[in-house]
Amino acid sequence: MSRYLSNSVSSRSFVGCVVLVLLVSSFVGCTTKAKFSENAVYILKQERDLNVEISPQQRRDIAEVLAGMFGTPDKPNVPKLGGIDIANVLDATQLHVASGPVSSDERGRARGLYREHCAHCHGVTGDGAGPTAAFLNPYPRDYRMGVFKFKSTPKAGKPTHEDLRDILANGIPGTAMPSFKVLPNNEIEALISYVRYLSIRGEVERELAYLTADLVEGERLLDVTGSREDRSEQAASIRETAARVVQKWVDAESQATPIEAPDPERDLVASIKHGRELFYGPIANCVKCHGDSALGDGQKTDYDDWTKELEPINEEALEQFLGLGNFVLPPRNIHPRNLRQGVYRGGRRPIDLYRRIHNGIDGTPMPATLVIGDDAAAGTKGLTKDDIWSLVDYVRNLPYESISLPPVIEQGYQRERL
Amino acid sequence: MRIVFALGLLVVSLLSGSFGYAAEWGDLKLTFVYDGTAPVATSISVNKDPQYCGPFGLVDEQLVVNKENGGIANVIAYIYTRTGPKPAVHPDYAATANAKVVLDNKKCRFEPHVALLRTSQTLVLKNTDAVGHNTNYSTFSNPPQNILIPSSGQVEKKLTLAERLPAKVACNIHPWMTAWLVVQDTPYAAVSNKNGELVIKNLPVGKWTFQFWQESGGYVASVKQDGKATEWKRGRVEITIEPGMNDLGEIKYKP
Repeated sequence: MSRYLSNSVSSRSFVGCVVLVLLVSSFVGCTTKAKFSENAVYILKQERDLNVEISPQQRRDIAEVLAGMFGTPDKPNVPKLGGIDIANVLDATQLHVASGPVSSDERGRARGLYREHCAHCHGVTGDGAGPTAAFLNPYPRDYRMGVFKFKSTPKAGKPTHEDLRDILANGIPGTAMPSFKVLPNNEIEALISYVRYLSIRGEVERELAYLTADLVEGERLLDVTGSREDRSEQAASIRETAARVVQKWVDAESQATPIEAPDPERDLVASIKHGRELFYGPIANCVKCHGDSALGDGQKTDYDDWTKELEPINEEALEQFLGLGNFVLPPRNIHPRNLRQGVYRGGRRPIDLYRRIHNGIDGTPMPATLVIGDDAAAGTKGLTKDDIWSLVDYVRNLPYESISLPPVIEQGYQRERL
Repeated sequence: MRIVFALGLLVVSLLSGSFGYAAEWGDLKLTFVYDGTAPVATSISVNKDPQYCGPFGLVDEQLVVNKENGGIANVIAYIYTRTGPKPAVHPDYAATANAKVVLDNKKCRFEPHVALLRTSQTLVLKNTDAVGHNTNYSTFSNPPQNILIPSSGQVEKKLTLAERLPAKVACNIHPWMTAWLVVQDTPYAAVSNKNGELVIKNLPVGKWTFQFWQESGGYVASVKQDGKATEWKRGRVEITIEPGMNDLGEIKYKP
């Protein structure tokens, strides 16, 4: 609470400063340049996890390597990484259109699209900590972990171009993320490219911090004062690290989970009933987290992977993380979806729900299922593809099912287990 | 003639490099002992599946210290090869090169608490409990996974890249469940037993750097060897392996 009070006080004086700056800059011209900020949370996490200190020099090295590879928010750069067709993932022209301050040329062509449409929530760096972020629930996505929730690829796969397009076009129901359907196609394409750019830059930053944590005192990520051989070896290892990150985005385009449509003639009532049995049963086990009435209240103390980095259950650690600055937002628990509302963040089409159940949701506690005839080991338990469709049918029916209906199946199942 | 000789030498050195028949081998042994009074294990409040998981008497496994001899279990060690050559592999390891390494959900905990996996081996995730679990591992180099594993469920995964550090494994349904996955591209990795003893067998003789890591302290850096305080920077120390047993004795450590 006191945190919010102090925020509101300081934000008032912040507004005053902004007015002053605007007044002054109208006379002298604005010279403030947008800058990428450091992932201080991840640096501190490395330091805490491994009981080491990353020196100011080492932190500067990370920033310099990143600037050399990726440029600045006003002048983004597509790094040259041998052996990878990076142009398929990052298009320099599109990045130019999306980056920089908001403006348009004499022909009315827009520039600075990211700062116009996205940065106020997602932040200039894509850290999900823009000026409005603290007021939203859920918080805006931090792209830098390279993890995206709503996509067609399996766990650990990047979203495809089409996945990002869907999110931009449709928004995310139940959150502050709006639809950008009214933007012209080329502007949406530019934003897709820029989100990828920020995500790749952010993930490379994490990898570099991870590499840095392993260096002993005096060792440097890239030592400009070192011998030519050392330098080229260090540079090669950095490029290799970045190439690995970019390759995942290249691979994603062919990784979408293939889905066979269910039998359109299936008995829907029977399928819903079967889905309900699975929901409460020990194989799918949905009830454990989504709760006895599917209200999303079965497991309310867990956190998503972004929040877990702040060690939210360790008070002393959390204080340290929050102390890094206002860009670290107070942790909130992640709650399983309330399936009675009919609002699904990743989309409400049956195929969207199938993907969530089949692949799980990256960065969250929602796991992928073991599919019989696919990844479940022979002779062991799992779900069939038809089982997953039955779960989809049941979940889609849940908002229309009376919540006060006696849960006959569930009682039967519990009696059996106790 | 000289060229032929040089080529011959090259072939010989390549062969010895790739097949790695070092002339002699040695074992490395260390015993990790808690520096101070052994802390008492804290029991876990079981708030999920209490009827099933409650009776197992679960305790926090972040730091497991033996009451009798102060031995620290689950200290992880492996040969460190980020810089320098890869060690030759003793023929005895060939038998297990393609083995399956099981990480089980058993009695509402992971068994084992630390799983050692080589990149050539296969990881088997299974659940022998009567309740459902999910196995959520956060590897850095290999794709992380989070899989729902029903009672009697089983899945196999290949992790083809070495991980610089042990990767955390969690179950989100039962938040107390934690394990660690060590993935290395050499067989030279070990974890200390309940007496704190850690043995890496059949290392090629010579100087090697070893990495030491423990769950609650990260890099095992500040230790006491022969009663003398020593700093193993970033948990790494260079050790010369001689033929036979190389017993470094007690290493006092407090995470």
